[in-house]
Amino acid sequence: MPGLSLPDLSVIASSLASGLLLGGMLALTALGLSIALGVMKLVNLAHGELLVGGAYLGYFLTHAAGVDPLLGLPLVALATAAIALPFHRVLIRPLAGKGMEAPMMTMFGVSIILQNLYLLAFSADTRAIETPYAAHALRFGPVAVPEIYAIGFVVSVLLAMGVHALVTRSAFGRDLRAAATDPTAAAVMGVDVGRVHALTFALGASCAAMGGVLIGTAFSFTPSTGSTYLLVSFAVVVMGGIGNIFGTLVAGIMLGVLQSVGALLFGDGYRDLVGLVIFLLVLTLRPQGMVTGVR
Amino acid sequence: MPNMTNDSVSREHSRQPRLMMRYATTSEFMPILATCGLLLMVGLVVPRMGDYALEVGFRLLLLITIAEAWNLMAGYGGMVSLGMAAFFGTGAYALTGLVNGMGFPFLLALPLAGLVGAGLAMAVSRAVFRLRGLYFTVGTLALAEALRLFMINHSGFGGASGIFLSKDTPGLRTLFLMSVGLLAVTVVVMDFATRSRISILLRAVRDDEDAAAQMGVRTFRIKLAAFVVSSFLTSVAGGLQALKLGTVEPYGAFGVHWTVSALSIVIIGGQGARAGPAIGALFVVALGELLADWPALQLALTGAILILVIRFAPRGLAGIGQMIFKGRATS
Repeated sequence: MPGLSLPDLSVIASSLASGLLLGGMLALTALGLSIALGVMKLVNLAHGELLVGGAYLGYFLTHAAGVDPLLGLPLVALATAAIALPFHRVLIRPLAGKGMEAPMMTMFGVSIILQNLYLLAFSADTRAIETPYAAHALRFGPVAVPEIYAIGFVVSVLLAMGVHALVTRSAFGRDLRAAATDPTAAAVMGVDVGRVHALTFALGASCAAMGGVLIGTAFSFTPSTGSTYLLVSFAVVVMGGIGNIFGTLVAGIMLGVLQSVGALLFGDGYRDLVGLVIFLLVLTLRPQGMVTGVR
Repeated sequence: MPNMTNDSVSREHSRQPRLMMRYATTSEFMPILATCGLLLMVGLVVPRMGDYALEVGFRLLLLITIAEAWNLMAGYGGMVSLGMAAFFGTGAYALTGLVNGMGFPFLLALPLAGLVGAGLAMAVSRAVFRLRGLYFTVGTLALAEALRLFMINHSGFGGASGIFLSKDTPGLRTLFLMSVGLLAVTVVVMDFATRSRISILLRAVRDDEDAAAQMGVRTFRIKLAAFVVSSFLTSVAGGLQALKLGTVEPYGAFGVHWTVSALSIVIIGGQGARAGPAIGALFVVALGELLADWPALQLALTGAILILVIRFAPRGLAGIGQMIFKGRATS
């Protein structure tokens, strides 16, 4: 609201709590972008559209098949990965060794295609995944948050920790880290870098799609929602450090809270704008924050 | 000095440099000659053009202009911007503000709108050049999106519904001539930028920024120059579009489709090639006219063609043409 009249304390506390919970979901989305960037140096400009794709998958699973979106999450993740693998083989792999720009522009083309296909197939309608718990509020004393935010946060953090465990503890994670650090040396040591890249891409796409389901349940989405989430995800990646899973989680939560502060101060329409301005500020003031962590 | 001797050696001597000079001057004056020829043709052709031809022609020239501007940054400077919409929209808003608020005539407001865009480029350059490559790309995208969201939410510039131009818009023919003028300026600027010392510096920065810096190139300045000039041209184009519509609103002026058009035109036409933007614009506008009733399908198809060109013809249609031409010449 203009005039910066401060609302009462419980509204502020609830809003900050919502921001924190929302930040967890942003972190999950950003994670997908971060690992693709960290491991394959791929600037996935179609990340937002992958997210929206996940939201549509969740929407139709819920509304047509009657599957609860949370139970549908693994299904969405598997379906996205199954689409992403051949996709990577056909579009990204042939461009290996042609620099960063060609794959980035290819993904930009993919983003245009997907966005307009969504528009043609599903119309420009705003949709939301309806669940019995979406509107329900959780109360802790004066703080009230929608239950779906809390569920989304917990699921996102669990998934992010799962990805972290996968990257740091499994054999695939070892290959992944090797391929990220030095692809040539990794290949010499017998790591199938192409396969690692394909799986990394699929993992990133699955993270985006699962984040999309959660965001689609907590909020609403349209065919063109993706670009906003792409940029917010980028802000999180930049703040958290590329390829740094823990940093991404912290940065996501931080950005969620900051966005809530912005929305409280200037009105709800400024929520996304605040995220972008913070991103541009971080680019200007703390670029070194971007190159820490696994490269 | 007149050469009066009949001695063949000295005649040979005097011919040699003169010949070389003639080559140099033709290639240097070529663009200006071409521009004059274009203007002359326009003087004869424009009065006979129908509304449809003017409409499509205007769009074609406007798109060639922003494609040239993008090519200057990405093709020659290696700075892949996704923020064309930021400068296009800024130009559109600046023109409307200058005309409505200060009563400037259109022909003065247009270059001033360009200057506003150039100023914006300078203001954000420190942020977007801070790191290279992908950060420039994503930073410019964030800039465009931030400006769009700001214009939608802030009520000072008409909010989401936008503002109308208080003066009557000029006729289609005048607008078309203005776009011809803008393209002429663009061609001269691009010619200077691609033939002069600047172009060598710019390409040096593109190919290896560290090496260029070590050789004494002031990389920040060179990149800034390209960014500012490109933003100036894009903003004038945005101002011209606002003049045509007679209104600005954030969704159209800051729409990502301006960025998509610029980069797909250049990539399809041929990145870093002199004729690339013109060839690409012809292709994209023709596609747009064919699929005028299905804008979503048109954009999706543009995306698909973009991917195919990147994969199979990295030098674009201009590259394909060159290959065919050269192939014929050698065989």
